[in-house]
Amino acid sequence: MPWPKETKYLGKPTPRLDGPAKVSGRAKYTTDVAPAGMLYGAILRSKWPAARIRSLNLEKARTAPGIKAAIPVREGEFVARYYGEELAAVAGVSRQAVLDALRLIEVDATPLPFTVNELDAIQPDAPRVVSERPNLGAAETQTTGDVDAAFAASAAVVEGTFATQVEIHHPLEPHGDIVAPEGDEYTAWCSTQGVFEARNDLANCLGVPQNKVRVLCEHMGGGFGSKIENWTNRVLCARLARAAGAPVKLILTRFEQALSVGNRPSSFQKLKLAASAAGKLTAFEMVMFGTPGHAAGAGDMGGGVTFLPAPYIYPAPNARVKKSKLAVNAGPATWMRAPGHPVASFGMESILDELAVKLGMDPVEIRLKNDPHEIRRREYRIGAEKFGWKDIYRKPGASPGPIKVGVGCAGAGWMSGGEGTQAEVQVNPDGTVEVRCGTQDLGTGSRTVVAVVAAEMLGLDPAEITVRVGDTRLPPSGLSGGSATTASVAPAIYDACEKTLAELKKLSGFEDPRGARWREACGKIGATPLVVTGKWREGLSTGGAGGVQFAGVEVDTDTGFVKVRKILCVQDCGLVVNKLTCESQLNGGIIMGIGYALYEQRIMDAQSGVVLNPNFETYKLPGPADTPDIEIILLDMPERGVIGVGEPATVPTAAAIANAVANALGVRVTSLPITPDKVLAALGKLPKAAGQPAEGRMLDEAFMRVALAPVIPSAPPSGVRRRKAYA
Amino acid sequence: MKGFAYVIAQTPESAVELVRNQGRFIAGGIDLLGELKEHIAEPRLLVNVKMLPGTQEVTPAADKWTIGASVTLAALAAHAELRRMFPGLAEAAGEVGSPQMRNVATVGGNLAQHSRCWYYRHRDIRCLKKGGATCYARAGENKYHSLFSGATCISPAVSNLAIVLTALGASVVVQRGAKPATLTMAQLYESAWENPRAHHSLKPADLILRVEIPVAAGGRSAYLQVAEKSDFDWALVSCAAAARVDGRTLRGVRVVLGSVAPIPWQVDEANAFLEGKELTGEVAATAADLILRDAEPLAHNAYKVPLAHALVRRTLAKLMA
Repeated sequence: MPWPKETKYLGKPTPRLDGPAKVSGRAKYTTDVAPAGMLYGAILRSKWPAARIRSLNLEKARTAPGIKAAIPVREGEFVARYYGEELAAVAGVSRQAVLDALRLIEVDATPLPFTVNELDAIQPDAPRVVSERPNLGAAETQTTGDVDAAFAASAAVVEGTFATQVEIHHPLEPHGDIVAPEGDEYTAWCSTQGVFEARNDLANCLGVPQNKVRVLCEHMGGGFGSKIENWTNRVLCARLARAAGAPVKLILTRFEQALSVGNRPSSFQKLKLAASAAGKLTAFEMVMFGTPGHAAGAGDMGGGVTFLPAPYIYPAPNARVKKSKLAVNAGPATWMRAPGHPVASFGMESILDELAVKLGMDPVEIRLKNDPHEIRRREYRIGAEKFGWKDIYRKPGASPGPIKVGVGCAGAGWMSGGEGTQAEVQVNPDGTVEVRCGTQDLGTGSRTVVAVVAAEMLGLDPAEITVRVGDTRLPPSGLSGGSATTASVAPAIYDACEKTLAELKKLSGFEDPRGARWREACGKIGATPLVVTGKWREGLSTGGAGGVQFAGVEVDTDTGFVKVRKILCVQDCGLVVNKLTCESQLNGGIIMGIGYALYEQRIMDAQSGVVLNPNFETYKLPGPADTPDIEIILLDMPERGVIGVGEPATVPTAAAIANAVANALGVRVTSLPITPDKVLAALGKLPKAAGQPAEGRMLDEAFMRVALAPVIPSAPPSGVRRRKAYA
Repeated sequence: MKGFAYVIAQTPESAVELVRNQGRFIAGGIDLLGELKEHIAEPRLLVNVKMLPGTQEVTPAADKWTIGASVTLAALAAHAELRRMFPGLAEAAGEVGSPQMRNVATVGGNLAQHSRCWYYRHRDIRCLKKGGATCYARAGENKYHSLFSGATCISPAVSNLAIVLTALGASVVVQRGAKPATLTMAQLYESAWENPRAHHSLKPADLILRVEIPVAAGGRSAYLQVAEKSDFDWALVSCAAAARVDGRTLRGVRVVLGSVAPIPWQVDEANAFLEGKELTGEVAATAADLILRDAEPLAHNAYKVPLAHALVRRTLAKLMA
């Protein structure tokens, strides 16, 4: 690939351009914007996990002091399918006024039977989430080879059941928008992973042409996949603004964030894996189901079920997979950092370690033997060397004392890829440069990436370049999802800069206008700045990132407490653009993976149907004290071009930690998160208790129902339009 | 949150008088603000008691230490002399919440805090403690709930300070009507054992003024907790122990568990068993057995039994260290 071999900035550490603005509070996030005459919006949500909403009386709210608009989410009767579903919204002059007004809305509702937990919802007599269809959807299957014969002929066979939790999307910046009408046009500040998609969605719901809507998103506090969909709160914000004829700001609270803007679907995976005596995989079988919330069957939100790749990264010549999804009365799933992958990784890497134990093989060795990905095999070797694997790996449970240490490893694959971005370079006669690209910086450092590429190409300092992003008036770029942003944006900047240099060469007559004669060359542009457009092209980016992680843990066998001491990440992302923000992405992915491994879980109450932990008090996220020593080794391979790295780093963390815990204990905790209660249970330390559900029997029955479920041919899920990068 | 009036009280008598009519005391506000925001409490008046004279000092004396109700947990954790005298208390204070919380949370507020049960704290659930008919936790998600209970509510006592102050044999001076009254720690919480609606034994207009901790020659104390996270998390189980150590012999032992019962949990037989003993692994294990003897684990909290057992053993070992 044509990226320069000798670089000044590419692959080197460049601090975020917006760092000073962010730490000093000058950076304006959506919630900081306050157009003149702005109103506050708030949403009335269903208090019922299922109810027929017969009517909404908004009159008292509409005429309450300070209230300028009150709207129902839809006209006529409808069924609310989860606690927290949007029913109505109001806009008014203060936050307090709208919160008070919400309490004046009269809802005539008939509560309906509901079911919120998977093992209840899968029962044949469970209340139906959608009355027209059973909760368990039709299953997808795929079969390769002669699976039964292969299992029968294999030297070692292991079986296990693994479960993963619903993980709630909790970006530090909650979802929110400000929509401001101005004549027949609208300006919107949106916390979004795609300003152009948000613009199109807003135009659609407001019934105005796309060229009458401008969307801005200058700074964001994270999205992780949750800010892709056009959630109802944005639609309500826009409708309130139209109804009130004034700008409306509607930012979700942390409580609301836990209900209706997406999560990672759960999974229950029954796995069977076999290998030859030499450790080569021979057969794989999976029966699985999970819940993407109330929308199962209606669409395919979240992908965590049908996108779950199996067998994950280690192929078996004979494989049978059957997967289905289950509706429950709970908030919807959506894309979440590496949809499907951490889920699949936890099951596969766990059962693979069980197989290694049965064969008496080293976990790294069995991976080297079965991973077809050449780069990942290299990473396993590099990682094992750096981690000191050979010296510290012991047989499971061999660590002495009540506080046991253990190590584990796991791998990740991610398609990444990039496409379709345009960019513009404006060179001013004084030599200053502005680079414009309608991508958005989710907090990942995209703005700085633009500057780094432009600086490298134009021979300038990144700080000398003004970068404009996050505005639909800029040259278009796609949404930031699927780890596609850098691989989409960097080639467009490259192309624009290359063309700029060609133009400058023509205008100045200099063979190379860069370096000492830059200003002089620019002086020859004349009074009108030079503006050059470029776009993404083949040959500068690619996909297929591989990564591996090693985890070292301590487990207190008296208390069940797990402490992660060390994570080593060896990651490939092709050409490293900015070392600092790249490592920062990996750190973030790993910390998120620690949350998935040990802390995070949505708890639904079967009696009331509510989310019991809609806050950071009981929905637990890793903090600084829970963050181990993280070591990152980047394989910088410029010859592969730019590959996105946002998602891969969060894929193997939980599996590596789970394997390390199993290695420490000599027994395995088979569900995430691995909390002290589960560790003590796995160690057989729990006394008998009253009312414990017969989970084993319920699980067996559930898998039997999936095994018997009717089959549909595998089809690409809806929403694929937006998710090409996952293909 | 519902609108309210706000006054800064100048005297305990006036504070109590103001609160009597649908008011609430506020000092750090860490506990109360959550209830206000979730509409669990809708007081018409908040009475700031943080500035009341005499409530902000830690006062050492030969026979007892006095800790004002408005002393912050951060101040308590950072008090070097107190840490030497009552290490368990300083450690317990340092484990509460986050640094930001400890900077404003007060001793009085920590002791008088309300249930953290996630059913109680949920805006749309009317549980037994809020005057409803059902304790949802009993048949529901009770991972964080009690192993022991006297009434139908199984929300556990989670105040770190209550656990360690019980072990230390402290008492609490409360402004009750026109005059102060002194309560033992057991008295401060006994209502929560009997009455599912009670968080503690304080009446709405009872105001904690100070805590008094007796000084015992050769007295030691220790505190340990285990949470799901390393920091900024509620204890799954906590344990405090205090005793005089005479040579290697334990005297006047009190071992107390937190987060396992609606009150700080101690068992007289366990304390009596330890009296005059030298601590060995076996002695500690027997004491732990006695403390946990009547545990009634629910569907999701049986893990607290082995966890509490380990904490009792470790806290006693720490006491001797």
